[in-house]
Amino acid sequence: MSDEELAKDLGPLAALTIGIGTMIGAGIFVLPGPAVERAGSLVGAAFVIGGLVAILTAFAVAELGTAMPKSGGMYYYINHSLGPLFGSIAGWGNWLGLAFASAFYMVGFGAYVSEFLALPTIDLFVITFESAQVWGLLGAALFVTVNYVGAKETGRLQNIIVISLLGILTLFTVVGIWNADLGSLTPIEAEWYNELLPVTAIVFVSYLGFGQIASVGEEIKNPGRNLPLAIIGSVVFVTILYGLLMVVMLAAVEVELVAGNETAAVDAMQVMMEPFGLASVGGAIVLFGALLATASSANASILASSRINFAMGRDRIVTEELNAIHERFSTPYRSIALTGALILGFIAYGDVEMLATAGSVLHLIIFALINAGLIVMREANPPEYQPDFRVPLYPITPIVGAIASIALIRFMSGTVIALSIGFVVGAALWYLLYARKHVTKQGILGQYVQGRADELPDAAVDAVDSVEPDHANPTGVKTAGPDVTGDEFRVMVPLANPRTEEELLTLAGAIAKQRGGTIHAVHIVQVPDQTPLDRGAAQIDRIDAESEKLLARARENAETFGAPLETHTILSHRSFEEIFDAARTFEADQVVMGWGPHAHGRVESRVDELTHNLPCDFLVLKDRGFDPSRILLPTAGGPDSVLGADVVRLLKSEFDSEVTLLHAVGEDETEAEAEAFLEEWAAENGLEDAERVVDDRSVDTSIAAAAEDATLLVIGATERGLLSRLLDEALVMSVLDDVECSVLLAEKQRKRSLRERLTGLTR
Amino acid sequence: MTGDLLQRVVLPVASDEDAEATARAVEPYLNDEIALSVVHVVEKAGGAPDKAGVEQREEYAEAALSLVEDYFAGHPVDVETEILYGTDVVETVVDHAHSFDATAIAFLPREAGVLTRLLTGQTTVSMVTDTDLPVIVLPDPDGNDDE
Repeated sequence: MSDEELAKDLGPLAALTIGIGTMIGAGIFVLPGPAVERAGSLVGAAFVIGGLVAILTAFAVAELGTAMPKSGGMYYYINHSLGPLFGSIAGWGNWLGLAFASAFYMVGFGAYVSEFLALPTIDLFVITFESAQVWGLLGAALFVTVNYVGAKETGRLQNIIVISLLGILTLFTVVGIWNADLGSLTPIEAEWYNELLPVTAIVFVSYLGFGQIASVGEEIKNPGRNLPLAIIGSVVFVTILYGLLMVVMLAAVEVELVAGNETAAVDAMQVMMEPFGLASVGGAIVLFGALLATASSANASILASSRINFAMGRDRIVTEELNAIHERFSTPYRSIALTGALILGFIAYGDVEMLATAGSVLHLIIFALINAGLIVMREANPPEYQPDFRVPLYPITPIVGAIASIALIRFMSGTVIALSIGFVVGAALWYLLYARKHVTKQGILGQYVQGRADELPDAAVDAVDSVEPDHANPTGVKTAGPDVTGDEFRVMVPLANPRTEEELLTLAGAIAKQRGGTIHAVHIVQVPDQTPLDRGAAQIDRIDAESEKLLARARENAETFGAPLETHTILSHRSFEEIFDAARTFEADQVVMGWGPHAHGRVESRVDELTHNLPCDFLVLKDRGFDPSRILLPTAGGPDSVLGADVVRLLKSEFDSEVTLLHAVGEDETEAEAEAFLEEWAAENGLEDAERVVDDRSVDTSIAAAAEDATLLVIGATERGLLSRLLDEALVMSVLDDVECSVLLAEKQRKRSLRERLTGLTR
Repeated sequence: MTGDLLQRVVLPVASDEDAEATARAVEPYLNDEIALSVVHVVEKAGGAPDKAGVEQREEYAEAALSLVEDYFAGHPVDVETEILYGTDVVETVVDHAHSFDATAIAFLPREAGVLTRLLTGQTTVSMVTDTDLPVIVLPDPDGNDDE
């Protein structure tokens, strides 16, 4: 088995269990009381409507999940498709929504514990705790601790719990049908109809669990098949089960028994088991089921919320500090502790209905965004978007899904609507004031709009531009060698193209060896502007493979010289400019780079600025096959030709090259003076044994003539900015194109003068 | 067989802190003839959601393993690193050791309180008892007063 298969160990049944285990919980054991109080026997219909709304979104989650089975689930899909502004809303919504839902499950849990172990109300003057709240707080503290310590047995326990629950509910249904009298469902009171949709909005909290399957999508085996199966299967299953149970319960017992009764299921079962003389046994079984159900729902939600925190931290919407893993427990303990604190706070201050509504409304916002995200992914259709499952009846399903989710919010109380608007504004401000500075990932929507800036209305493009991330750090240096300071001589080689790599490394290796320095081979991976760097990093495996091949060969080549080599991979939007940045980062003494058409990507606007401020000496090989056997070095003096001479000297001692020095006689110079200059220059630069040629023709002609016998022409960039003109392809010396041998251009490090710095600053 | 005990050694590390301490602990015993396989086990629940997401655990593992790589960069010892997955940490390490043809497993035992041992199991004890390979317990490089 491959590691990937080992990492993915959730089968279809396990995935289904996560969904069903989370959804069968408080919904059936806690909500019938408050729901029946308002909507009477229509509660069954409310559950079915809620289920249908959930199924529409479940389709979208299933499609997005098969395309991106990632940690964080729904948050990840929204952040990826709609960008970090909506990502912040979804992340916070999903996280807080799960905390509210967990608090709700735990209050339900507390209500059932209180059935047999009621505690007196605790009055702390500022706040009073009912018995159910106290048990809820204790229960929540217990499950948070279990997740904090991270006993892996809880996961397996979940499967047993779900199977037991299904057994108990089957018994409940069978006994209910035995007692059922459909007549007791009628008459339906008129006001129940008015309450149908508002009640649906409350009971919707029962259908949040399918999102938890998505949040562990990365752990599911064969997600293309199992993810949609588990997500849609669990929602359909639970919808049918809820509908059936409500109808059966209300047909079997009086509506009055259930209405307003938080532990209605126990009392109903007692009544239904009465004919068998097993009232107390029935009550105990259902009580046990209720405890299991609420506990497993809360447990799964706490687990899922840490996945969402992780995904948010990875995208820098919250600080990564939150996601530290515990040294011994291997759990994301900070995330779990914080979520736990939220849950305890919500239990202390909220009642059942308020907690359920808060959990519902936050998820409904997310569900609307999920459907919007699906539409964006389908329309933008980026090449990496390859879902194995596709939503049926697109685009009707996601459109109806989004509208239905928003519509359900409309039926909530005015306070809830106001609070949810407040939440959205708060999450958006969080992005604009905090996260925007940190995130680098742009959504598919933003890329799509910016990519079509010409076709789309300006207002839309401006709106997208105005909320894009700041891209505070455009450079993702993946590895920096252990030591980039120190004093040894560093030769940096930016690698772009495997063909010229060997020759550049041969040259760099010769220099490094002669100087006792190291080679830093840097593979600069250019990422399109539209692709955020950290997404590039997400695809690092592919890049790594390519980079690894390139760098592995670099290592082999370097070994032949015995020069130590360090390798680095850098992701950048501007691969050419990155060479200059990297030279600074690695404190290179010399850069050896190749130059050919587009060897390092298109040269962007800053060439002049960059090349007038060289961070170190540059050697640029215009390569036609590197062969240092016969070197021609023209000189007219000056610092750049000294660098050229340095390089030639190194090559000569490494390759035993034959060196010819060439000096073209200047206009105000006699031939004798020229010869004297060349002899003196050769002596100064340690090249006195080289052949010396003085030519009275023009510089171009004399170089061209002498180069015919040479294999390598080394030119010190005699004029300032020759390099920039070379890179601009507005070449001053056409001879460089005319000669048939390779050309090596040398240009000295250039410090900006104070005046230049000042003008640069005031610009 | 003398001298062969340290030919091919599997070195499990549990965290970034542990990785650094383990690297320091093993360093005095290394030479250029030793092959080290440094591993971190991502503990799987085996059919239930894990206590932390796999992607999160992999990031954590990579951080720990790269610490060891960096530590031995420039050192003549031959180091390879790998993330392993398994429901039982010790079993996974031992299985890996066999496929690596290891001559021994070396590890740095971690101090843990009674409660922690009770909750997370006694990896130290089972690391020594549940293997059919020589096990080397490395001395704590910081002495005994750690924690």
